[in-house]
Amino acid sequence: MNISLNWLSNHLDLSGKSIEEISDLFTFAGVEVEGIITKGIASDKIVVAQIKEAVQHPDADKLKVTQVDCGEGQLRQIVCGAKNYKVGDKVPCCLPGAQLPAGFTIGETKMRGVESKGMLAAAEEIGLPKGEDGLLILPEDSPIGVPVKTLFDSDTLLELEVTPNRPDLLSHAGMARELATLLKTPLIKGSKGSAGVSPASSDFIKLEATAACPFYAATRIDNVTVTESPEWLKQRLTSIGLRPINNIVDITNYVLHETGQPLHAFDAAKVSGAIVIRQAKDGESFKALDESEHVLTTEDLLISDESGAALALAGVMGGLDSGVTESTTSIILESAYFTPSGIRRTSRRTALSSDSSYRYERGVDPQGVLPAAALAITLLESGSPNGCLTQSAGTLPPAPAPVSLDLDKLHHLLGNSISTEAAEEILNRLGLTKQADGTWIIPSFRQDLTRHIDLAEEITRVHGLANVPSRFRATLVPTSDVDTAYDADMILRRRLASLGLFECQTIKLISESQLSDILPLRPLQEGDLIRVKSPLSEDHAIMRPSIIPGLVASAERNARQQAKSIRLFEMGRVFRNAGGGKAVDQESESLAILISGNSQPSSWAIKDRAADLYDAKAILSALLPSQTISLKPKDRENFALGAEIKAGDQTIGVFARLSLQRERDLDFISPVFVAELDLGKLRKIISAKSQVEDLPQFPGSTRDAAMELSLGTPNAEIEAVLGNAKEPLLVSYECFDLFTDPSGQKIAADRKSIAYRFNYRASDRTLKANEVDAAHQNILKLLARIDGLVFR
Amino acid sequence: MNEQIASIQSSALELIAAANDARALDDARVAVLGKKGTLTLAGALIKDIPNEEKATFGQSLNAARTEINAALQQKENILQAIADANALSGIDLTLPPRSLPTGGLHPLTLIRDEAIQILRRMGFALADGPEIEDEYHCFDALNTPADHPARNEKDTFYFNSGKLLRTHTSSVQIRTMETSTPPIRIIAPGSAYRRDEIDATHLSVFNQLEGLFVDTDVTLPDLKGTLEYFFHEMFGTSTEVRFRPHFFPFTEPSFEIDVKLQIKGQAPRWIEVAGCGMVDPAVFKSINATRKDNALDPKKITGFAFGMGLDRLAMIRWGIKDIRLLIENDTRFLSQFAQ
Repeated sequence: MNISLNWLSNHLDLSGKSIEEISDLFTFAGVEVEGIITKGIASDKIVVAQIKEAVQHPDADKLKVTQVDCGEGQLRQIVCGAKNYKVGDKVPCCLPGAQLPAGFTIGETKMRGVESKGMLAAAEEIGLPKGEDGLLILPEDSPIGVPVKTLFDSDTLLELEVTPNRPDLLSHAGMARELATLLKTPLIKGSKGSAGVSPASSDFIKLEATAACPFYAATRIDNVTVTESPEWLKQRLTSIGLRPINNIVDITNYVLHETGQPLHAFDAAKVSGAIVIRQAKDGESFKALDESEHVLTTEDLLISDESGAALALAGVMGGLDSGVTESTTSIILESAYFTPSGIRRTSRRTALSSDSSYRYERGVDPQGVLPAAALAITLLESGSPNGCLTQSAGTLPPAPAPVSLDLDKLHHLLGNSISTEAAEEILNRLGLTKQADGTWIIPSFRQDLTRHIDLAEEITRVHGLANVPSRFRATLVPTSDVDTAYDADMILRRRLASLGLFECQTIKLISESQLSDILPLRPLQEGDLIRVKSPLSEDHAIMRPSIIPGLVASAERNARQQAKSIRLFEMGRVFRNAGGGKAVDQESESLAILISGNSQPSSWAIKDRAADLYDAKAILSALLPSQTISLKPKDRENFALGAEIKAGDQTIGVFARLSLQRERDLDFISPVFVAELDLGKLRKIISAKSQVEDLPQFPGSTRDAAMELSLGTPNAEIEAVLGNAKEPLLVSYECFDLFTDPSGQKIAADRKSIAYRFNYRASDRTLKANEVDAAHQNILKLLARIDGLVFR
Repeated sequence: MNEQIASIQSSALELIAAANDARALDDARVAVLGKKGTLTLAGALIKDIPNEEKATFGQSLNAARTEINAALQQKENILQAIADANALSGIDLTLPPRSLPTGGLHPLTLIRDEAIQILRRMGFALADGPEIEDEYHCFDALNTPADHPARNEKDTFYFNSGKLLRTHTSSVQIRTMETSTPPIRIIAPGSAYRRDEIDATHLSVFNQLEGLFVDTDVTLPDLKGTLEYFFHEMFGTSTEVRFRPHFFPFTEPSFEIDVKLQIKGQAPRWIEVAGCGMVDPAVFKSINATRKDNALDPKKITGFAFGMGLDRLAMIRWGIKDIRLLIENDTRFLSQFAQ
């Protein structure tokens, strides 16, 4: 909402207050100051100048070289491109050093080789409303040399954000009342109009919808002349950014911004019979004055006439055909109280809003309905009363019920920082009155005050939290499951960062086209995706069932920026239904990893090498050092090398490489490996408490074995044999060499040589060589059963 | 005989002096002191020497051996010193290192963790709740009127099921109070969603941190002390903190919190960082209705709640000008936060 300080000063003496002080005052009234716009001319260096001479610029057709008198004793030469002046006119001259609203400072310069010592200005160039094209021609009697700012009013416009609970602040009078309370200064009483009110005759108002419109007042005013508004009125409206239209419309707008009560003026000639306030018929159409067309429902309230024609969508917007025009001679002025919820509903459904609906839907002051009409009538009559009579139908909402203030609770809330007297004085200043029974009478404009806590809030607000003591205390609380999960997550995050991965954060809404990159722990069925009903764009339409699409997009972005090594991870929620939509809205947490490009940053000492599957596996293993991590091949749609990630026997996630076609489509020049892990399972592993094992007391022995076998035999077959071997002396083993030769020279091209080292140890003695040999032979015998395996 | 020993000694010393590496020195040692070394062989002659000369011979033999051993040791020391010097020479300390990959945590994780650490010191435990919420937990229970603008489909993501993406983490307050009894002292970091077009200052998915303290004796001084402590820890103990009256449906009185911060190259100014307030008794009432008990009796129980935008805190902390940097994951940006 816009508030003009000049306008406000009609109600309240603000002299001596800086704009900062006034701004703070609003701030601590709970009204956010979103902008401060100073209007008028700020600079002293813009002065009245008389043009004494204007000759053609020697080198530019469109420029003239002028000599102007700025009252400096000598003429000033200024080059100017405007055409609308004649020699002898007085115009604003910006002297060197003048700062203009556009943000630049005038200096002395040369234009096409001719010296120019300042600038002659148009109205908008110096911060005045845009006038005719060309220079601003000042009145003939303007004294030469004086600052132009002294010839024009200045004003400050405050852009304020009023919270929805305070509709009483949505006017200049209301805002002034609040500031007067905070400043403890009296309000300046203005003249209020008064008009007689009588009950409506049924041929003038027919109020059929009393729930949506408890009270409706209308005044017929004849012999009006629709004309331009007087200067003061136009200035008031332009000062808050409104465009003057005609005297009738301007007065209703003025009264709205003055009192907060919306008014509406109909052309009486366009009203057939009485004004009828009724619910719209289902499907009834309405054409608003902004020319938008709407189909209404029975929930919408209409102002119509007896012919059934819709005059206005009550409280929201007038109709296109019922408004005041230049030919209007009689008007019907509406001032009503509409029920807020109905206006909200209609405004939302039709997407129509106006200054009126903004106030009605928050709730206007019932006691302000008639005074606003009276003020408008006074202004319309402009000093010559024509005896018009306001008629009203229905009843105004009752005064708010008195509210009790619980002093014990108040003092407890405020930490005993305010005396009862001071607290009660605040309520008094806010217009509340204490009754003999201790309850407080609430003014009609504060419908928001209904409970003890509402009064306590008012006292707190005016008292200020700055005057409340601070209490510092901590409490012992047990660790929650969420705490434990968080701590595990941080361990995993730090570990991944140490392993050279960057943590990412991506948007949890993804697009249809990103679905080809999803790698959920369990594949999705039809109906498992969760789509938002009205996405902002197709890019953010589906709740992500997997983090991988976000990481792929991030990787693509980094690759475009020539990143050579891309190592990313993200943790967070994923969303899906399960069983084809049988179980809905399941949220779980995942850890996703993506690596692509160089395994390490380039260096003189290491040859660049693209990260491969085994680099990815190394990260997975290092992430959970307590676990034996393995990959169990399991195809996944849209991906290559799909596998389950196992920690021991437990499946903890999914691993894959992007399909080679997808990598080409995205212009990746090296393989892209991705993994999505079940964060719930990882947390359990991280948080598990284990016992230490005793260190071995006796030395062990090692034996190596080199095996040759078919290239296609997976290593898992060797590991399966070793894992199942019941040889008690074998404590561990490791693969330490792998050799293949595609050329077939050193080993057949379809064969591979693989070497393992076996560690044998007993916990109670040092093994003798023959014991180790016997154990090793057992192992070799088991290995020899693998199809095609020969020892080398 | 003594002349012979003297001759062996002098040629041995020459041999040692001529040895230029460990191997030559060892050859010299063997040639003199080995089984068939010159001095060893000369020593074997003692049995042929008349008894009366044996003592003298023995003495000069020992003297020669001592001298030769000393020379050997000295030469060995010299050669080792040379070898050690050679082993280190030519190493260029100024060459760049081999490389290890570096990574780092996301700035949102860093700011969230910092906030959590501070609040944990004051005894807040973590809590969470679903992001796909129902209207009851997101709005109704939080005293938000049925026709409140925030419920608009224009501002909030809805699903066909009628559920929605929570517009704030305040729904976690409700979920927590439904299932636990006072004292309740929780914080809930998490995502929230608003139907905002993504631009330099808005994300449709953003990150909040919610706090709630509900007990029998929770007052405005507690609210003020807790949040002052928090922002002093966050931005420095000399940071000014102010509480501006505001309005939220679920707290009364309500405030917005500003801190006065100096951003590089600018005059210090108040920057909004959080919203807070005393839990509105209407919230307790609706939770009691759900619980079917009076565990949160508004006559006895009071509480405060607060919420802050973590994306915003991160932007303030590091002078991030465009919020989209937080979701683009450009490693040139992320690497600036590597600790």
